[in-house]
Amino acid sequence: MTTPLLLRFVEEARDLLQLAASGLLTLERAPDNAPTLNEVFRAVHTLKGSAGLFDIPAFLHLVHAGEDVLSAVRDGSVVLTSDLVDLLLDALDRVGAWVDALAETGTLPADADGLSRDLTLRLRAVLPEPDPQEAANAATAAPAAVALDLDWVLALPEAERLAAFHQARRGQTVLALEYRPAGDCFYSGEDPLALFRQVPDLLALTLAPAEPWAPLDSLDPYACVLVFRALTGAPRLDIETLFRYVIEQVALAPVPPEALLAVTGEPGMGPMIEDYLVQARDQASTGAWDDLRATTRLALDLTGETLQAGAALRALLALLDDPAPDPGWIQAVLDCLATGQPLAGPDSGGRGPEKDTPDASPDLVSRGAPGGLSPTARALLESQRRLLEPGERATLQGRLVAVGRTVANVLEACGQDGAAWREAVAVDGGRPETLARLLETLLETDQGAGSSDGRGGGASSGPVSSDPAFPGPAAAGGGGMAGGAPAGGVVSETHPGAPRILKVDQGRVDALMALIGELVVSKNSLPFLARRAETVFGSREMAREIKDLYAVVDRLAQEMQSAIMAVRMLPVSEVFERFPRLVRDVARRLGKQADLVIEGEETAADKNIIEILGDPLLHILRNALDHGVELPAERVAAGKPALARLLVRAFQESDQVVIEITDDGRGIDPDRIREAAIAKGVISAERAARLSPQESINLVFLPGFSTASAVSDLSGRGVGMDVVVTTIEKAGGSVVLSSVAGQGTTVRLSLPLSMAVTRVMMVEAGGGQLFGIPMDHIAETVRIPRTAIRRIKHSEAFVLRSALVPLLHLDALLGIEPQAWFGDETEEEAVLVVRLGQNLIGLVVDHFREGMDIILKPFDGVLAGLHGYAGTALLGDGRVLLVLNLKELL
Amino acid sequence: MPVRPTETLIHVEGGCGPEDALPLLEALQALPPRPVALAECVHLHTAVLQVLMAVRPAVETLPAEPFLARWVVPVLKDER
Repeated sequence: MTTPLLLRFVEEARDLLQLAASGLLTLERAPDNAPTLNEVFRAVHTLKGSAGLFDIPAFLHLVHAGEDVLSAVRDGSVVLTSDLVDLLLDALDRVGAWVDALAETGTLPADADGLSRDLTLRLRAVLPEPDPQEAANAATAAPAAVALDLDWVLALPEAERLAAFHQARRGQTVLALEYRPAGDCFYSGEDPLALFRQVPDLLALTLAPAEPWAPLDSLDPYACVLVFRALTGAPRLDIETLFRYVIEQVALAPVPPEALLAVTGEPGMGPMIEDYLVQARDQASTGAWDDLRATTRLALDLTGETLQAGAALRALLALLDDPAPDPGWIQAVLDCLATGQPLAGPDSGGRGPEKDTPDASPDLVSRGAPGGLSPTARALLESQRRLLEPGERATLQGRLVAVGRTVANVLEACGQDGAAWREAVAVDGGRPETLARLLETLLETDQGAGSSDGRGGGASSGPVSSDPAFPGPAAAGGGGMAGGAPAGGVVSETHPGAPRILKVDQGRVDALMALIGELVVSKNSLPFLARRAETVFGSREMAREIKDLYAVVDRLAQEMQSAIMAVRMLPVSEVFERFPRLVRDVARRLGKQADLVIEGEETAADKNIIEILGDPLLHILRNALDHGVELPAERVAAGKPALARLLVRAFQESDQVVIEITDDGRGIDPDRIREAAIAKGVISAERAARLSPQESINLVFLPGFSTASAVSDLSGRGVGMDVVVTTIEKAGGSVVLSSVAGQGTTVRLSLPLSMAVTRVMMVEAGGGQLFGIPMDHIAETVRIPRTAIRRIKHSEAFVLRSALVPLLHLDALLGIEPQAWFGDETEEEAVLVVRLGQNLIGLVVDHFREGMDIILKPFDGVLAGLHGYAGTALLGDGRVLLVLNLKELL
Repeated sequence: MPVRPTETLIHVEGGCGPEDALPLLEALQALPPRPVALAECVHLHTAVLQVLMAVRPAVETLPAEPFLARWVVPVLKDER
């Protein structure tokens, strides 16, 4: 069921989910943290991308919805509240559960679709309704975000342009969209044309190659060279959502209505246009629109369709369709009809707004205080300059005339002195170079003035063509993309400079470590060999050489051992990273406020230790929140800040890793613990009375102890701190609890840095058999005379520094026949005093032997169930050392 | 197979994916030049459309699918 691809996905998904979840928590505290937001978005986005490889639609939909919400958060249309974070975290949890299910069964659980739909709906409900008004606002709010050259709009078929014009006149924002797919977009599975199928309210669409087609024999069908240009009446948000994966290849700009109205066509007058013009001007000046419409229809019937005059008449009709036609525009069209100039693109665009558009002209005039050009005027001049760029000689003359007139008009409208310009046109007969240079100076000198009066562009003027920031050739031709992606486009997915990391299966590292362990053991046999060389073969020389060799091998083995240990070392942050989430959730559920502070998360320890740490820490944190931290009101009453502080601190202390969990809650009340312990029958009243406060506190470690008056679902299920202690002790660690009533509690966990090497003391018992006893259990070794042993009924005990210590015989415990004892009462017993929990116990052994580092191998197979032993280790001379598990044994 | 060359025509049918661009290009380059029949086509992947725009073959029938008919046909006609 599970393929390698799926396994990789599962692994990756878990990482991504973790990343997203911790990012969300950071964001909850600091919603403005843009890098984190991007990180979260990217994580979810990547997750969605990878999920697309598998047939898991429920998964995909949910992640997609999450991504949309995050994207909305990113562009500021949705505020990230705590509730939203909850919802997103819920979704992540759900996805996490599915990832687990995928890892196990390779499919999603049966209820996934329903759950996905519910969560998806809840997520989508957060998203703002696509609101045209808002889209329009967004468009006007940042008109300079995208510089889009709109010249191509004029080249659109007239019918489409006029249709769009109608929409625009009705107050709807018409967006111009230019999409230049990346050349390799087909390889990433994109189909730009298919995207346009989804564009709502598509008003116009043109496709053109960005560069001339390559010769057929060298045509690469998989290099996308098309440029898509479209007009749409859809809200900007919708479009941005639709194109969000390629948003950096898309330029969007609202099109002012007047830009849609252009008159193109073959030059030439229709019959009777002169007459028509006289009549029409008359009607226009009196506002007799109905009459004008009738006249115009009539004129249109008589005019050739392809003629420019025809186009002008059609534009006029389009204008007249408006319930309140615009005299300025109508005048403009009539003017253009009268002059009969080939009013291609910019020129007619120039005439429209410049002279006659009521929307634009007040704007133009008011901004165009002497010395300054309004953005519209600048745009016009800019396009004129472009017309002057070298092109076909044939049309040059026509262009020159048109440019000369337009510029003069613009200057006049702006209240600028057009004398110099007119002179240049007249004198030079309009040499393109001269005119271009003159225009350049005109634009440059205006730069300062233009921006100083710049109040940003209005809806009608700002978006027209080139952004002033990109004057000159950069904006020319198709260069309108120079503005690039709108802010907040999808960030590149590559992570430059990521350290190279080798992912290795833990089993291999373990195998390597086992081998190194064997090496250490074999190395230990060299001193035996040296001794044999000396004693058996009588060669001291040989013995010394072997010892020299041993020193070298020993050093190498130790280095290898520490190297492999380092490989297995993990930072404690591996465990810590799920705590912020936990604390947040638990605190919210309990109605408490807590801030988790983590220190020293880079402290490293062996992987096994880290893995063991997780559950106990979780439990301690829950306890702290549940029992320790008070409700905000209580805290305030006690003079503490309402926000409780939970400190988790990790650090290394010699060969131990120490983790302290401190809360500033109410602390543990020894009396209450004592009472509770008596009530639960954990301890008798008499014994309880004799306990010191610290000892009372330690009662919480006893099995079956739980103080929570109401058993909550968080902690206090009867499996209290004793589980923590057991787990930690199993790993060779210890737990210390200290508390000051009213000020808080500290739990301190100490664990060995590594479990790989265990220090044991060897003892001899049962007549020469060797046993290992973990060093951390051993308190001391004493020799006591037999006379000092007291018998209390069947048990033996002795007094060690005025404390009564029970005495047990190791051979009896192990069921080995005790050695026959000869000798007198003065003989001393070797007693190993071991500490088990809080108690000292004396173990009688035959002899003490040396302590040594061993690699402990737990029993497996049929021996696994063997009681009383922790495992085995190989000794240097090849013997097997049984290591005892005193806890089980005693 | 959405691209189906016959002796006289190159049929482009159904939904064309990116994988159809190369076969189409090859069919269009083969001799004798044949016109394309697009009537049965419901989607042209951009890569396929690009080939049509670059090669500009004679078009026997135009697609009937509304989106293609509305927006792509003018492009194919324009280009000729």
